Formats: sequence, structure tokens, C-alpha cells
Amino acid sequence: MTADVVIAGAGLSPFGRTDHLTGRQHALHAVHAALADAGLPWSRVGAAFGGSDAAGLADTLVTELGLTGLPFVNVKNGCATGGSALVSAVNAIRAGMAEVVLAVGFDKHPRGAFDPRPADWGLDEAYGRDGLMVTTQFFGMKIQRYMHEYGISARTLALVAEKAYRNGSRNPNAWRRTPISAAEILDSGLVNDPLTRYMFCSPGEGAAALVLCAASVAGGSGAAPVALRSAVVRSRRAGSFEVFSPRIDGGALTSVSRDAAGAAFEAAGLGPADVDVCQLQDTESGAEVMHMAECGFCADGEQEKLIADGATEIGGALPVNTDGGCIANGEPIGASGLRQVYEVVQQLRGRAGERQVPGAPRVGFTHVYGAPGVSACTVLSR
Amino acid sequence: MPAPLPAVGELWTWTVQRFAPKSPPYVPPPAGFRPFALGYVELPDGVRVAAVLDVEDLTSIRIGMPLRVEATGGVPHAVPVRLS
Repeated sequence: MTADVVIAGAGLSPFGRTDHLTGRQHALHAVHAALADAGLPWSRVGAAFGGSDAAGLADTLVTELGLTGLPFVNVKNGCATGGSALVSAVNAIRAGMAEVVLAVGFDKHPRGAFDPRPADWGLDEAYGRDGLMVTTQFFGMKIQRYMHEYGISARTLALVAEKAYRNGSRNPNAWRRTPISAAEILDSGLVNDPLTRYMFCSPGEGAAALVLCAASVAGGSGAAPVALRSAVVRSRRAGSFEVFSPRIDGGALTSVSRDAAGAAFEAAGLGPADVDVCQLQDTESGAEVMHMAECGFCADGEQEKLIADGATEIGGALPVNTDGGCIANGEPIGASGLRQVYEVVQQLRGRAGERQVPGAPRVGFTHVYGAPGVSACTVLSR
Repeated sequence: MPAPLPAVGELWTWTVQRFAPKSPPYVPPPAGFRPFALGYVELPDGVRVAAVLDVEDLTSIRIGMPLRVEATGGVPHAVPVRLS
């Protein structure tokens, strides 16, 4: 993909948990913010793609946004909902379907862990009845194996979460804005060994929206556009280890995150060494550690020293999850992927305030991962 | 019908379910929820099977420990093998 598509505007709703806002209201907030950022009216949007996992249909937003007759496609793709909407938006521009396209993701989840039904995943009812339909178990078991193979310590997991809350405290839009020490994180009680309560993100609510357009159209009254160098979605290949796997094939594990990240870098003509700021799926601390390697930013095991040395801090060599990630922002499934892109856009424009990466970053990367083995990645530059 | 599994393997990874899963779909035992272990057992042919681990002491679980995988009416269970 060439750099012919730009992000002209990006918007968020407040992330967290409220009693009074619906998922749709979050989405409207984010869309209006993105349009204002782009300096474009809703009437200029020629096509839209969006969705939520559990908060309704995106195409109903036209009731409030305006009945302009545009094509509005609903996307429902788990954690890759935002990424899939983004890929569709890019393709719509490249195919000449529209010059200005909206991508929006939103969600609102009840408290507590997700409670999927076995039949919806093609699994025997026994997996639910016997207590194995719990997503957090997978994250515990994946990092447990990874720590065993590559010498990652529990303290490193705590440092990742400590950074998330610290970055969240610098982000006015984050849900968790109180710093928590590594010691307190380690002592917060095991949820699924080796992961403790404060190492996990919580299902929450929020929305993110992007206004994309052909580079030739950008340059109106809005903020400086950011080039979307590539956007890629992949599903798993044989031999991967995923949420709700009754079995894992023998041999070395494959990784859908590795596949998606590699394809995104290839399409962008850039590599991990070019990236100045990145957002990686951090459902819990261990996920961020493993995704650093799966996305190509380090070798397996190097995270132990990199994190101890502060490499992933805002002032480090590779700032990761500068907005506090899912741990500080919560996980509204449909919104998280586009929240990451929003954050990179702010960083590349130099508008990230207290959490701004120093040295005027030029290239950013985003990555989401989710069940049942799906990943979406983007590469952005200014 | 799937082929019968080779019965004995090594623990590949594990965790403990420390909180009661949401019901439905979870059906707690008659005596109520208690934390339980689960994991993947790597069988001699390399395949790794998800199983509930029937271990008495949750602090005794180690990657590599030998386990016998037993079919049940539902999710497979794995029982530590006592090496004599």
C-alpha cells in the first residue's frame, strides 16, 4: 500500500464506565470530534464502516449524524472490529468508492469478565459448564509458558502495568488515572496465575473515530494529516495458541500477530527499527511483553532487560502504549484498535500533551489481538 | 469419533482459575466454587490438550510434571502420575 490515504481527523469519547451514556452516544461523541478535527462536515463523508461487539449497530448512527444516503457498513470482528473498519475504509478510498470515509468503533460492556457461550464458538457445552470459557485463563497460560521458556519475571509483568497506570495518569481521557506501584500490582491478588488483578484491563466503554481521505483531498481547515502507510487484518494459521483452544498442534507456535505485523511493515516499506512510538495489545501485562517480540521489536526474552532499563517508557528508545493502553483505558472491544490509531496520530502531530514522546516522532505502529485468533496492525507516518 | 489419546504426557503450561466463572454457562460443584487448576498437557506426538488438572496442592504444579489425561463426559481431566 502506498501512502495515498491519510487520516484527516481523529476523535475519542471519554473512556471508562458511566451510568448515563450508551455505546451509541459514545460513538456520536467520537465521530463529531473526528469531523471537527478534520475540519469537514458530515455531508462530505461518502462512505462509512464501523461497529461494536456488544453495543449496537453503527449504521443506526445516521439518525443523529444526518440522513445523507451514504453507504454505511456494519463491522463485527471482535477485537479487530476497528482494524477491519479501517481496512475497509482504506480500500473504499483506493477503489474510488468515496473521497472521504469514516471508520468508527465503540462499545459498552457490563462489569466483570466476558462470558461467551460455547456454542457460539463451536465448542462442546462442557467447556462452559466446567469453567473453561474464561478468556483470562488463556492469557495466564500463554504468559506462564513464555516466562518458563524465556526467563521473564513476575516483576517485569508488574513493571508493565505500573507504566500503564503512570501513562494513564498523564492522559486526560484515560479511565485509570491513579499511578499504582509495582509492589502493589504484584500484591493485588492472583486472578489467573501468574497474573494479578491490577495486571489486567477491565471491560469498559468508549468510542474512537477516524476520518480518512485521499491525500489529494486533505489540507482543508483541519489539523495536519497523518499518512496511513498500511493497515492489515489477519486471522490465525494452523499451529497457533488462542483463546478457547481445546488443543494446540505440535511443533513451534505460529502467531497471527507476527503475521499481521510482518504484512503491515512489508506493505508500508518500513520495519520495526523505523518505529518511534507504538501501541500494542495489552489485555494484561504479559500480552504487551509477548507482543513486543511477536510484532518484531525485539527477540524473545530481551523484554526482561528492555523493560527494566525503561526502553518502553515515554522517554525510552521504544515507547509502548503511551496513552496507558487497555490497562489504563479499559477494553471496549470495538473501540480499542482505533483508540490506538488516535494516540499515534496525536503523537505524530506533537499534540499528546504531558505524554508526548520527545524528539518529534515520525513513524508509529498499532497492534490489536483477540479471540478467536485475529490481529490488526497499522503503520503511520508524518 | 476422534482417535483415543495417548494417555501420559507432560504439563506444557497451566493456570489457576481463582474466581468463580459467570453462571451460566458455569455450573459450580455441589459444594460450591473452589479455585481449580487447568492447563495443556503435551502428549508424546506433540499435540497439547486442554484439561482440568486434578491436583490436591495448587502450589505443587510445575511445567514438565507428568500427567495422565483421562477422557470424561466433558472436558478432559489430567491426573499427576506418581513415578515409582
